[in-house]
Amino acid sequence: MAITTPTPPKTTRPKLGGMARKEELAFYLFISPWIIGFLLFDAGAIFASFAISFTNWSALSTPSFTGVENYTKLINDSLFYKAMGNSLYYGLGSVGLGTIVSFLLALLLNQDVKGMALFRTIFYLPSVVSGIAVAILWIMILHQDFGLINSFLAFFGIKGPGWLVQPEWAMPSLILMSLWSAGGAMVIYLAGLQSVPIHLYEAAEIDGADTFQKFWNVTVPMMSPVILYNLIVGFIASIQGFVLVYIMTNGGPANATLVYGLYIYRTAFINFQMGYASALAWVLLVVIIIITVIQFTVARYWVYYEGDVKQ
Amino acid sequence: MARHEEELARELRRRGYSRRDVLRIGLQLGLGAASMGMLLAACGSSEPAAEPAAEPAAEPAKESIFDINSGNSGNWPKSAVADPGSKVEISVGHTWDAVFFERQLQFDKLFMERHPNIVVKAENTPWGEFRQKYTAAAAGNALPDLLYTQFSWAQETIRSGMYIALDDYIAKEADFNFDDFTKPSLVSYQYDGKLWGIPYDEGPGNLYYNKDIFDAAGEAYPDDTWDLEKLKQVAIKLTSGEGPNKIFGLGELPSPGDSLMAPNYLFPFGAQYLSEPKEDQCLINTPEAVTAMEWWEELRTKGAVPSPADLQNVAWPAFQFGKIAMTLQGSWATPPIAAGSKFNWDIAKWPKGPKAHSTFSAGSAYMITRDSKNVDAAWIYMNEYLSTAGQTYMWASTGRGSPSRLSAWPAYLGSEFAPPGAKNVEEAMSKGIGTHDIIDQPTGPRVTQAAGPIWDLVVAGQKSVKEALDEVFAAVDPIIAENRG
Repeated sequence: MAITTPTPPKTTRPKLGGMARKEELAFYLFISPWIIGFLLFDAGAIFASFAISFTNWSALSTPSFTGVENYTKLINDSLFYKAMGNSLYYGLGSVGLGTIVSFLLALLLNQDVKGMALFRTIFYLPSVVSGIAVAILWIMILHQDFGLINSFLAFFGIKGPGWLVQPEWAMPSLILMSLWSAGGAMVIYLAGLQSVPIHLYEAAEIDGADTFQKFWNVTVPMMSPVILYNLIVGFIASIQGFVLVYIMTNGGPANATLVYGLYIYRTAFINFQMGYASALAWVLLVVIIIITVIQFTVARYWVYYEGDVKQ
Repeated sequence: MARHEEELARELRRRGYSRRDVLRIGLQLGLGAASMGMLLAACGSSEPAAEPAAEPAAEPAKESIFDINSGNSGNWPKSAVADPGSKVEISVGHTWDAVFFERQLQFDKLFMERHPNIVVKAENTPWGEFRQKYTAAAAGNALPDLLYTQFSWAQETIRSGMYIALDDYIAKEADFNFDDFTKPSLVSYQYDGKLWGIPYDEGPGNLYYNKDIFDAAGEAYPDDTWDLEKLKQVAIKLTSGEGPNKIFGLGELPSPGDSLMAPNYLFPFGAQYLSEPKEDQCLINTPEAVTAMEWWEELRTKGAVPSPADLQNVAWPAFQFGKIAMTLQGSWATPPIAAGSKFNWDIAKWPKGPKAHSTFSAGSAYMITRDSKNVDAAWIYMNEYLSTAGQTYMWASTGRGSPSRLSAWPAYLGSEFAPPGAKNVEEAMSKGIGTHDIIDQPTGPRVTQAAGPIWDLVVAGQKSVKEALDEVFAAVDPIIAENRG
């Protein structure tokens, strides 16, 4: 069956009626606090940082214009590649693992079982715990000698690694720890699952689909826009990650967890190289845009929007 | 430590604090249940004292553990700079813990009484946020009139033009005695033949030791006869137990990621990290330095020092938790150790090595910023704050330690809050053991950031000392090349 997507006719914006105009006004009123806040507190700093990225500026004295020197400098900066690589590693690992775990949790918590509200609350609870408390908790869980995980492994005669102190294990530990906040994405998946029309499952059953086939051919396509949303938002947040790494490992050991945000922070506030830090930040923005564009481009092949007709 | 608790309780009762107040103050000090029990017991009944509490200084000062008048000699210097004719306000950026900030407010209250036309606004910022906050303030030309500055970023900020030179003001003060400052204390605040800040403290690295652990092992306490070989032997001997109950003989080992490393761990063996004071040559992979670092690493292979994992979830300094027999700490570690420890402890000098007797010396200062709107008033404040009387009031009588002025040391040694072995702190400074040959050039942070991660691989057992030090040299040399100009 080959169905082509009809080309929508080009339309001009219809003239709005009184009620529609009120709705439009309400829209602008509701978003105005964010827009005003952005213009007052963020926009200036964002544009200033772009200008600063073309200067040599310590923040303590007058900046001097250096052209694109900061951008060419990072080509030979091994820590730039290290930090970018670490952030991409963390982003891919935490978003990939997080998507699978939170989606599976949402499927479990979408069952019609007594006490489900309590289970949903329990699984969401970690997401609202303070970041500092989470960091300290996980430092103890991952402790080499008497942490919960290594104690559990020792029960089976396995000597666990130095999770946060061995370079090869530090980043996997942080990725593992990121699952702690899977509850946030889980709630979004849960909301998506509850909006999948029942009649699609009924139709699949009539066609003889088993449980897995219903999941693969109904649930996953219907949830694909939600998965895409979580992938994009999650990846952007992960690649900008800073606080937990700063508290738990401060980039160590051996720069194994030196993520990009931490490198920018050190460059700006420890080394007083504000111009270079700004250049690093703008490069990160470009990388995020490229990755997001790739995600949207690839999404055409696997994301299904209701009403979409695909070849 | 019971004596201190009784004295504290007596003092609090005298000033009219209730048992509830005492409990709150004890909690703020981080006292444990046993100490708290003694404190409350020493307080006697819950009836309020007949004598009313002292007038609070700038609101919260009534919660200070220090009497507002204690340590006030009254010998405040009379500045040659005249007080303003009308009210002016000066702002001062501090980074004190909550307890000591109350002392700060007491000082400010007394200062404002002496100078009714100068209103002092104290800003207290947590240590972790201090640099970000004031770097942003500098960018916006919104620095306070006076600002705390640590040795490690002093040179960078001085050279960036963040402060004003103090020489002209100092020249006006006939009683300003440069010789009164301990020799290492001024080093970080001089540049281009001028003085840009006045230090309030400069303390040596001391050997803090847990007397209970020594007693349990039947080991004699460290004294002036000790050398580093003895330190090593005892550290190994005192190491015992496993898991959470393990006792470590020594708290830490040298790392090239530490700007204070060389005086304690290399100089005693005739080695160096960077050529001081210019820091334009890296000497970390010389045979002497490699031998010295390998000598220290033996303590790690013996399990006598905590692993990074052991130190991950403990507050600084880890010594305060009672699992470490000896530790190298600056004298500024005394307040948290005094407040947090539940064991007997004292201070000895860092032991001598085969080639030299040396320990690091470092400190902090206050500067007048370029953004100050009332420079004269800021100077009047600074001149009193960092005078002998000011240092006695703030850092000596409170036992916080290591005033930069020699004339304030007697008050420190006599303070009930100073550790019993405080004379060792003074002697380390007066006998030239403490040296300011530490990494404090503007390139310093980049040097330690480059070297630390390489050394992590030695700590993880993945690289030899020699390999790592060669790599440190290769990483550090290009950074300090800019100091050769």
